[in-house]
Amino acid sequence: MSNRAELMESGKPFAFDAERDAEFERLAKRYPSRDSLILPSLWLVQDQQGWISTEAIAYVADRIGTFASQVYEVATFYTMYHLQPKGKIHICVCRTLSCYLLGKQQIVDYLHNELGLKPGQISEDGLFSLEEVECLGHCGSAPVVQINGEFHENMNVDKLKEVLATLQSGGRS
Amino acid sequence: MADTIKLSVNGVEVEVPAGKNLIDAVAAVGIEIPHICYHPALGADGNCRMCLVEIEDGRPPLVAACKTKAAEGMKVRLDSEKIKKIQRDIMEFELINHPIDCPICDQAGECILQDYYVKYDHAPSRMRVPQVTKGKKMDFGGGVVHDQERCVLCARCVRFTRLITKTGELGIVNRTDQARVNIFPGRPLNNRYALNVVDLCPVGAMTSKDFRFRQRAWFLTKSKGICHGCSKGCNIYIDHNREKYKDDIIYRYRPRHNALVNGYFICDAGRMTYKLENEKRLRMPLAAGQQVDLESAVNALKRRIDQADKLVFLVSPSCSLEQMRAIQQLATHKAAVLSGYSEGYIQKGDGDDYLIQDDKSANRAAFALLGIDESKDTLTAALNEADLLISFGNDLSLSGMVCTALGKTELAFVGSYANNCADAASYLLPVASYSEDSGSIINIDGVLQRYGAAVVKNEPLPSMLQILAQLGGAFGDVQAVWSDLNSAVEAFNKVDLQNIPAEGLALTVSEVDNVTA
Amino acid sequence: MEVKILSARFDIADANKLEVAKEHGAYGTLEKLFAMEPAEVTEVVKASGLRGRGGAGFPTGLKWTFLPKGLDKPVYLAVNSDESEPATFKDRYILVRDPHMLIEGIIICCYAINSHDAYIYIRGEYISQAKILQAAIDEAYAAGYLGDKVAGHDFRVDVTVHRGAGAYICGEETALLESIEGKKGQPRSKPPFPAVEGLYGCPTIINNVQSIASLPFIIEKGADAYKAYGTEKSPGTHLFGISGLVKKPGMYELPLGLPLVEVIDKVAGGVRDGRKLKGIIPGGSSTPVLTADEAQSVTLDYESMAAHKTMFGSGGIVVLDDTVDIVKLAENLVHFYYHESCGQCTPCREGLGWMLKILGAIIAGKGKAKDIDLLLELCDNIEMKTVCVLSAACTMSLRSYLNKFRSEFEAYVANTASAQPVM
Repeated sequence: MSNRAELMESGKPFAFDAERDAEFERLAKRYPSRDSLILPSLWLVQDQQGWISTEAIAYVADRIGTFASQVYEVATFYTMYHLQPKGKIHICVCRTLSCYLLGKQQIVDYLHNELGLKPGQISEDGLFSLEEVECLGHCGSAPVVQINGEFHENMNVDKLKEVLATLQSGGRS
Repeated sequence: MADTIKLSVNGVEVEVPAGKNLIDAVAAVGIEIPHICYHPALGADGNCRMCLVEIEDGRPPLVAACKTKAAEGMKVRLDSEKIKKIQRDIMEFELINHPIDCPICDQAGECILQDYYVKYDHAPSRMRVPQVTKGKKMDFGGGVVHDQERCVLCARCVRFTRLITKTGELGIVNRTDQARVNIFPGRPLNNRYALNVVDLCPVGAMTSKDFRFRQRAWFLTKSKGICHGCSKGCNIYIDHNREKYKDDIIYRYRPRHNALVNGYFICDAGRMTYKLENEKRLRMPLAAGQQVDLESAVNALKRRIDQADKLVFLVSPSCSLEQMRAIQQLATHKAAVLSGYSEGYIQKGDGDDYLIQDDKSANRAAFALLGIDESKDTLTAALNEADLLISFGNDLSLSGMVCTALGKTELAFVGSYANNCADAASYLLPVASYSEDSGSIINIDGVLQRYGAAVVKNEPLPSMLQILAQLGGAFGDVQAVWSDLNSAVEAFNKVDLQNIPAEGLALTVSEVDNVTA
Repeated sequence: MEVKILSARFDIADANKLEVAKEHGAYGTLEKLFAMEPAEVTEVVKASGLRGRGGAGFPTGLKWTFLPKGLDKPVYLAVNSDESEPATFKDRYILVRDPHMLIEGIIICCYAINSHDAYIYIRGEYISQAKILQAAIDEAYAAGYLGDKVAGHDFRVDVTVHRGAGAYICGEETALLESIEGKKGQPRSKPPFPAVEGLYGCPTIINNVQSIASLPFIIEKGADAYKAYGTEKSPGTHLFGISGLVKKPGMYELPLGLPLVEVIDKVAGGVRDGRKLKGIIPGGSSTPVLTADEAQSVTLDYESMAAHKTMFGSGGIVVLDDTVDIVKLAENLVHFYYHESCGQCTPCREGLGWMLKILGAIIAGKGKAKDIDLLLELCDNIEMKTVCVLSAACTMSLRSYLNKFRSEFEAYVANTASAQPVM
């Protein structure tokens, strides 16, 4: 696992937009403790901004009324929180057990060789980013790849090419 | 419920205090269960696993002593091969990624990994793969420098900022072996007790900027003392050393546990008052404005006192109880007006609801018990007619009076620290400070505490009691003062100097003894 | 061999929608439920023999009885939908294809344990699944099955979905609670147990999604009907996940107790590509691997697994054939546990990383013979000395590969490892 503690600044202050603000207030009623809002709030930040900046962490901490250090801990502990901007098309390849046995490496190698993508990196044009992740709970349809939150099952290099092409052209796969 | 329970450790029955976890319970009878993350002020975290012990017939048979309440009849096993191996194994895991910084690490000599390695491990290293590397020399603010590689992730520092100061600057980010202590960017340590994490840290991950690289722990003599930075009277260790060809100086103060006064911690400001013991000290006696040797200065002042028409003695609220009584006696003997006026020592609003007090003097409570007048009016009235004012350590300028503008009142100063008042004096007698002397002080909660001399200078200064005797006082030593206190001052009637508890004695100021409910 | 108890509505189109689910019996147990005493409900669940379907296999009804009586604190229900154990992919089907079965089960459990607030902890990666689940919950609220008066009865049940964000350890029950409370998923020492001191310091029951989803059947048809499936000590059915090198990987609901190899051959089509069976991971990556020989006498129930020194676990079966490089597979699994370690306690935090590096050195041809024994010793040194069992999950699994396939490790050390297809 890499060091996730190097936060990035966006350069602008952060605040929830109206929709997320309303959702925050709705959630606040569902927990007896304010700190329970930390994980949901970080998801709201990521939905709005695409990633979680230093400013956003400070905003969440102050909005909830908790320590910035605690929100910082949570943001770095849970690996789905993006602490840097990701590509428009964020590709998560499962690397564990069944996906490993059924050929995830070919997919990773393809992305490296053809698109120059390394895990943890964004492509130069900002279009793609790649992550190797642990078991995604789709072992029966391995190998599985999650792209921008959607699961693509029984993947191979050919299918991946199709999916990426569709996404690039703005369609949904 | 009984105060003690009986259990067995390694087959031997012992009687231990009830209601405690196993670490504290058996520590009370001198048995050590090694532990890293547990701290009595911070509670048990259970993450280091060093305190695992066997409970015979227990379910489960292996428990963390910090998280296990000592129970009647428990059969604890610390000396089995299994436990010894666990202790070696935990030490091995602590050491595989630990940097070999000992030669440059402040903690050497008082480091738990060093101590436990010698006591519980002694096995050679089997680590043949690259170590995990993390941040070093990180400025966390508050005078604290952090080294993430040395850190054993006991979380004591994090728990301190969350539970004690409730300022929450520290956290442990990441997971797995990437976990590390950090501050949130832009929100460094910013509380008045931050340096306690340096003491809390069992290894050299938290070091004090002030102390870094200045002295090796094994050269330090660790004497017991009491901080004089405010009226709380927190207990400290005065760590000092005399290097070759140099003088005995203090390198740092550290907290000393006292359940009745400060618990386990001290404030940063008090911690730094050690510098006042080393720097800007009064050394050169003066008589009538001239530098002279000590004996001449004492004699000159004695003559001046006898010649005086109207005498005023001004006593500092940080003088010890014995010094105050001796000054009081001399004042009566010489018909001097006695004042303890020192309102400038109180910084209103600066105190907090933890240790820090508004009153930055150490022993003001003794004024009330001895009946020493503190009012400004008494002092100003006396000064109008006085031709000699002797200040015993009291910096009158703090309270708003300009010491160079006392009119026809000549100023003498008997004390330890350079200040505006001492600067303006024409008679100056330097005396030993509290770290070089012994005495008693009473804190704001009415707790009487004794302290002994810690530092012995190459050319020791006289104690204030000695000077007072030379000036004509009746008391030759501490014993004589206490005989007087015992017989003549009600608050001290029943106080036995030889039997004051280590934690201090809570005095009841009122005449009525508290009736136990 | 397959049955349709839990999966009864899975193949019905739009069964996640309330009207369709209701048409097929959803919420049909509620009237019967509210006519029972809560303690009766617990007795029925106990009698059914239902065991925790998350992997620990603790009797569900029995767990509910650990709640202290007469405490002046609210009781919470946490539904564990973290599903992150490699080889496990069953709970997702319930969330997507029959979420109302889960909601009905939550109502049953809440009534039995006198809880009014349930939190469903769903792993962060299940994004669309969480949306489907939330939509079903919204439907249930609108129809009066959730809220202040469940189905018109004077009993409140509120359900909140709490999303995780990528941490396997949050499947551990106390880490799950920590995560709901807004902290890192660092497990707590036990005692105190969650039933006494759990969420927000209050008595809490944590049950797996599938366990809760099993409740409507048990209440509707009774304990005996549930026990009609499976074995005496391992009654009921399970959503097994079969994956790896088989012809027909997938999720299959089966009664407990069937022979493992028969299931792999008849239900999942057997080893694929005409290859030979080499080993089987029986119940999720944390369960010790079975050799092909050992697997012949194993049945899919808790007792048989224990007798073969492995575990029933989450029912995630992975089939390994003779193309599998066991050493590299072991590294793949140790990497998983290393990546997921919460980092709280010393042996796991430092030890898993060390073992991973040693394995890497062995694979890179830089290992020594004593490294294999060092790995075995480290497994012993780490196991059971930690706050939680993630480390044991790693070490028990790794130890089984080291012991049962030692020759493959020795081949790497002797640099005679035969060329395996690149995985």
